Amino acid sequence: MKQSIEERIEQLKMKNATKKMNVFGRLLVDNREMSLWEHDTKTLSWGVRRWRRKALRFSREYIRPLAPMADLHPHDFDPKPILAAAARHGFQTLLLVPPFGTASILPYFRGTALQVAVVGEEFATECGGLALLLLAHNLGIVPLLLSGSLRNIFGQLVPFYLKSYILGKPACMAFAITEPGAGSDVEETEGGAKAILVTTAKYDPQKKGYILNGRKCFISDGAKADKVTVYAKLEDEGIESWTCFLVEKGMPGFSLGRSERKMGQRASDASELIFDNVFIPKKNVVGKVRSGWANNRNVLNYSRPVVGAMALGHARGAFERCLEFCRKSYLGPKRLIEYQDVQLELADMAISIWAARSMIWHSCKQFRCYQSGSASAKVFASDTAFKVCNQAMELMGDQGYLHKNGVERMWRDSRLTQIYEGTNQINRLALFEHQLSTDFCMATD
Amino acid sequence: MQNELVGGICAEDVLHYQDLARQYTRKSINPIFEGEHSDGNLSLLPERLETAFKIGIAAAPDESFSGYQYGIWGGAIDEQGLLPSMLLLSIIAETCGGVAMCLHAQGVATNLILQSKKKLPFTPLKVGLCLQEGLCPPYLGTIMFPDKDMPAKITTILEQKNDHYIMSGSKSFVYSMSDTDAYVVLARVNETWGCFLLSAKEKGINKTDVGVRTGMRACCVEHIEFDKVKIPLEARIDDENAREMVIHAMGMNWMGMAAVAVGIARGAAVAARKYAAERYQGGAKIEEHAAVKMLIAGAEASIVAAEATVFALKNSLLTTLTDLRKAASVKLSVIELCSRAVTDCLQTFGGYGYMEDYGMEKRLRDVTVLKSAFGSPTYLKQLIFDIEKEGSR
Repeated sequence: MKQSIEERIEQLKMKNATKKMNVFGRLLVDNREMSLWEHDTKTLSWGVRRWRRKALRFSREYIRPLAPMADLHPHDFDPKPILAAAARHGFQTLLLVPPFGTASILPYFRGTALQVAVVGEEFATECGGLALLLLAHNLGIVPLLLSGSLRNIFGQLVPFYLKSYILGKPACMAFAITEPGAGSDVEETEGGAKAILVTTAKYDPQKKGYILNGRKCFISDGAKADKVTVYAKLEDEGIESWTCFLVEKGMPGFSLGRSERKMGQRASDASELIFDNVFIPKKNVVGKVRSGWANNRNVLNYSRPVVGAMALGHARGAFERCLEFCRKSYLGPKRLIEYQDVQLELADMAISIWAARSMIWHSCKQFRCYQSGSASAKVFASDTAFKVCNQAMELMGDQGYLHKNGVERMWRDSRLTQIYEGTNQINRLALFEHQLSTDFCMATD
Repeated sequence: MQNELVGGICAEDVLHYQDLARQYTRKSINPIFEGEHSDGNLSLLPERLETAFKIGIAAAPDESFSGYQYGIWGGAIDEQGLLPSMLLLSIIAETCGGVAMCLHAQGVATNLILQSKKKLPFTPLKVGLCLQEGLCPPYLGTIMFPDKDMPAKITTILEQKNDHYIMSGSKSFVYSMSDTDAYVVLARVNETWGCFLLSAKEKGINKTDVGVRTGMRACCVEHIEFDKVKIPLEARIDDENAREMVIHAMGMNWMGMAAVAVGIARGAAVAARKYAAERYQGGAKIEEHAAVKMLIAGAEASIVAAEATVFALKNSLLTTLTDLRKAASVKLSVIELCSRAVTDCLQTFGGYGYMEDYGMEKRLRDVTVLKSAFGSPTYLKQLIFDIEKEGSR
């Protein structure tokens, strides 16, 4: 019986072809019809998987409806409801395990940053700005945790967490290292040694605390944060004296400067913080005095994979929207997705996303994040994300640059991930610095 | 030396065009960017575009304007080649890609009107070109038989009824200056291409702004629907078949867009070099850092390659399929090179590059729009292959 080409193609598809195998052979073939997302989720441990699914639901229910307007009119957007909702769902307390936080216990000790990274990808798939709004909070928290100081953890972090999760209070923290004259400097060893810093703390023996003066800029969530972890050098000393201070909203002398107008990630502010003789009580010193530089570099080790995950989310967001567009749109008699050149392009995007995800998850899968792994994951994921977003825009032709289709928003959002947490050039140097002494990937006995 | 021929014009004329564009940029466009407007204060734009008509940079179908001959894509391109228009566009785009795109769109539509050998029913000033439908420019991905090619898939159709035509259909992504007086529409009539001049106020024309977009915001971009629009027979610009005009319009469009991209990239490189020479990091100017040197040098190399590619076609007539293939190749490669250069230049600014203050993010947005606009890379590749395949038969 002569069959049509369509019938023959149908028969050759793996799902049908395997029917001709014996039962044991069939058992060795994975024929489950499952999305890439689901496939990847199943490779995660139960606890992380749960957070991934939960974050997907949250981002679709809460972030998706707000995203376009929060991007177009960031100044009219009220962040409190979404911060409160995220807190109620436990997303703002993922850096500690129960009873103080909400992270799943076993995976936490195998990879502290993985749960935040997984959540970050899901949030960023819908909106870079809102993802940053929710995640920059963790960046403010991490210095307290990594200080290793029980005084800071139980005195400041735990009460903050309990208030956030139990009461669902939209409390928010921020992390302040960048100064107007020192951006990349404070993210790299050699630059740090030469940096000219203006934010200075002077010990006041009478008041038993520090007087903080100076400015920080580009601080994500700076205008919304209730507390900020601020790094400052001690008077007449260099960056090696950097100390982390917990500055609280309402402290006399602490004020906001200009809020930057950004190309993307607009729902989250990037603000200037001004410290004019702000008195910081001794209890608000995070960790030991002069331990700030090490603390800062370690914070970046933990945050960079998460930034990579956010970039990955932007790439996935652009890919998903582009895929949907190709399904719906016709070019001549056929839908776009039926053209092989379009399929090649989409497949290339999916491969890039998959590679970036693998690298990020790999870099997070240890208890302590390390410099070269984190920097590499951030660089690769952010470069990949920008490339994928460009591909998505190009594939959609003129429709790609219209705001209503969402892809251009992802493209704008993704560009920032190549810049913050150290530009990708600085991150490359960080990788080199860390691995040079160990001869990179050369095997040792 | 001054009178040495460059393309179809002497070097002195080239200097004149460059000087004209620089003066226009300095006096008319720079003030738009005073104050906190990421895309410039667009309320000042109509007045500045009026100046472009007055000084002859903007092409005009009206003989009383000097732009009629010497404006961007004005009548003089037949004798002077593409060089003057591309120079003007790239210099203006160094400051604002959107303004350059406005003048470019005006020029392409004007050039088609100027090709008419008969008297048209009216002479507009501001015109927009309606060519693209849906996703892509014409040919919809294949031109299997170019000598027999008919605009079969073009859905904007005209039917002749006694002393007039009736036009129905729609056009997408029509770039123009705002408050356009008329449109030049390329459409199907009796299974051939036809080119028509249509007043923007004609009954049955519905215009919709495409809405918020990534860049090129100085330019007006619309979707236009034609609901049984009545057009007099005299409004037909071509004689019998406007296919060559379609090729010419597409070619000019791509060459102009490539020139705009080169200008944007050059503007970005100048800004990056200036910033690198002023900004200190790690106790030294950032231009001393290897990472910054590599970024700027890579961008410069890309721009030089892009310029060479664009200006290589300065004497092309853009009327044959071979010309069209070359123009498509130029758009494909040049805009890619330029957007890479712009993103590298932006990176040298670090966080400041992403903020609106230095105008780098605007340059990146503008050049990215050029990549997707009027023929995506996938479409261009397909077209290049198809023309090449037909040529080799």
